[in-house]
Amino acid sequence: MPQAKEAQTENSSRDQILGRIRAALRIVVSEPAVAAGDSKRVIFQTIDDPLQRFEQECAANLMECALTADGEASAQHLAKVLQSLPEGEAFVQEDPTLRRLVQLAAPARAIRWSTEGAPGEASQVTVTLAEALIAQTGSILVSAGCGGRGASVIAPCHIVYARAAQLVPDLATALGCISQQRTFDRNSFACVISGSSRTADIEKILVQGAHGPRRLVVILQSGT
Amino acid sequence: MTQTAAQRFLQDAAVKSADLVHREIIRRGMDSYDAAHLKGRARIKDWEAAREKCQEIKRDAINHLDRFLLQFEEKVVARGGHVYWAANAEEACAYVKNLAIRLGVRTVVKSKSMVTEEIHLSPALEREGIKVWETDLGEFIVQLRNEAPYHIVTPAMHLNRGQIATLFREKLDPGISSDDPADLMAVARRKLREAFFTAEMGISGANFLVADAGVVAISTNEGNGRLCTSIPPIHVVVTGIEKVIPRLEDLAVLWPVLATSGTGQGITTYSTMIAGPRQSGEVDGAGEFHVVLVDNGRSQLLADAEQREVLHCIRCGACLNICPVFRHVGGHTYGTTYPGPIGSVLTPHLNGIGEFKHLSYASSLCGACSSVCPVKIDLHHHLLQNRRNATESRVTKSSERVIFRMWRAVMSSPSMYALGGWTMRKALRTLYALGLAGTILDPMRVWNRYRAPVPLPSESFRARWRKDRAAS
Repeated sequence: MPQAKEAQTENSSRDQILGRIRAALRIVVSEPAVAAGDSKRVIFQTIDDPLQRFEQECAANLMECALTADGEASAQHLAKVLQSLPEGEAFVQEDPTLRRLVQLAAPARAIRWSTEGAPGEASQVTVTLAEALIAQTGSILVSAGCGGRGASVIAPCHIVYARAAQLVPDLATALGCISQQRTFDRNSFACVISGSSRTADIEKILVQGAHGPRRLVVILQSGT
Repeated sequence: MTQTAAQRFLQDAAVKSADLVHREIIRRGMDSYDAAHLKGRARIKDWEAAREKCQEIKRDAINHLDRFLLQFEEKVVARGGHVYWAANAEEACAYVKNLAIRLGVRTVVKSKSMVTEEIHLSPALEREGIKVWETDLGEFIVQLRNEAPYHIVTPAMHLNRGQIATLFREKLDPGISSDDPADLMAVARRKLREAFFTAEMGISGANFLVADAGVVAISTNEGNGRLCTSIPPIHVVVTGIEKVIPRLEDLAVLWPVLATSGTGQGITTYSTMIAGPRQSGEVDGAGEFHVVLVDNGRSQLLADAEQREVLHCIRCGACLNICPVFRHVGGHTYGTTYPGPIGSVLTPHLNGIGEFKHLSYASSLCGACSSVCPVKIDLHHHLLQNRRNATESRVTKSSERVIFRMWRAVMSSPSMYALGGWTMRKALRTLYALGLAGTILDPMRVWNRYRAPVPLPSESFRARWRKDRAAS
């Protein structure tokens, strides 16, 4: 592969650094062994009811989570959220389900589909799917396939449409799925998003809506 | 004569610990961190097990550093990314600078990265006429003030809203009237928004490099790190070789532990994973993707049989926050890229024990740092080892060695010890009676300058011991 060749030839220090690392690792370091039985210790609380935990963590993360029974209810909720936002272009991930949903919810709004390129600077809202939802941390997992990298961070509001079957109990399960499904063979990017963008850099005071969305809305429809 | 780093430390420490405004800002900041940190820790069922797991992961990574780095490199290169290994700061800066020049970069947006501070990347780019925007709010503030970050996680925690509002009025917009943190954030957001959409290059650090997946993991709350790695056509990751971890699943523990120790959050808002340049069919992302792996003294630390584990550090800042010395003297007093206990351990390795040996004494050896470290680095013992190393390598002053030799002689002879104690009691009593406590004549001046003298006992401990024993 041409890149591989370039990466190696342009780099005179590479072998030198590797040599130093290998020489250093030959020095034996006595480290206290990890006590036996430690692997059995449970680090995180077991999650009995993922949906309840997800809702609870969403609230703690200052996210909005709406549970809906069917597609119609989802479209209604989407319409309600979109109506509360300023006029302007919505960026929507190209997907048959989202097309139906958005056409029901906001037939009049200008839409930029993800197949037409990245969201613009003035984009008001983004609607995407997620790869998974994580109960433990109240997070959504998105990949480049969910409308690209900018979809979840450029507009001031991000709406995620997900199905209950996408909910996994914890981070370990979500990361295990990424490994197993070889997500990074198809995506150059993935992100676990846990709430709206925020900062506490001034006097440790929490400000919601820093560089990314001020609002993160999850429309969680029951079933698969 | 120019001041040495040690003299500057003592002078700045004296000024800062007497600065009441600074004390109040830090006290408030640390109080709110303490509360959040304790609450965050309580959310994890077995915090000690979590620390042990993280220690185990990092130990595995560091003890097979060559293998995991090569695995990471192979994955990134296979996806069309570039990996550059930089032996030192100069090589790292030269690589990024040349890349920027070659690709015609005029503007760079940066997300927070302590390694770029360590190698002084921004000044190197600015010397070439490239505009560099720090986009993390705290970093943006200290950049406007031409200051180094005060703290590795919250770079502007030494400033209050009024000082930041004044700074923004001076540098950005004289019309700013509010000093509300939300309004100040909005000002920075508007300003940096332009930068994000015009910059040709985004530079980020990395919290972890995942070997098995070939992924760069970046944790940010503001979303600036996301924008830096989503919009500009070139993305350069600058990070240390010690950031590698074996498996993607390791993040399931490392992310919550990093967030808990850093800010008390359950997980950082954006836990981003970047696996290379934009792939065909993807909507956006940088087409050029470069990872600069910086050694800069780390492989030397790896060869230190006692202190190898210092490379386990995940830069959460917990040891800074708990440290009684940091809380009094503040981050800038250290005069180093990495302040606080971890900085005091690390800096002599990165920048030379000769100039920075004094940092090993910027500690009461209370061990608070070691007790909070999420990867269980034995920080305060490493400070002791650095003290010993400084003495053994004879970078200490000869007068200091003479004094310690005398001290050893006195301490190992009961009669000389008794004589010394008697002399000091008599001398200090006379001195204090004359009202000379805290003056230049007072051997206890360092203590007595700012405090009432400790009352002197009438007799020695040994005399009291003998008397009490005889009486009972």
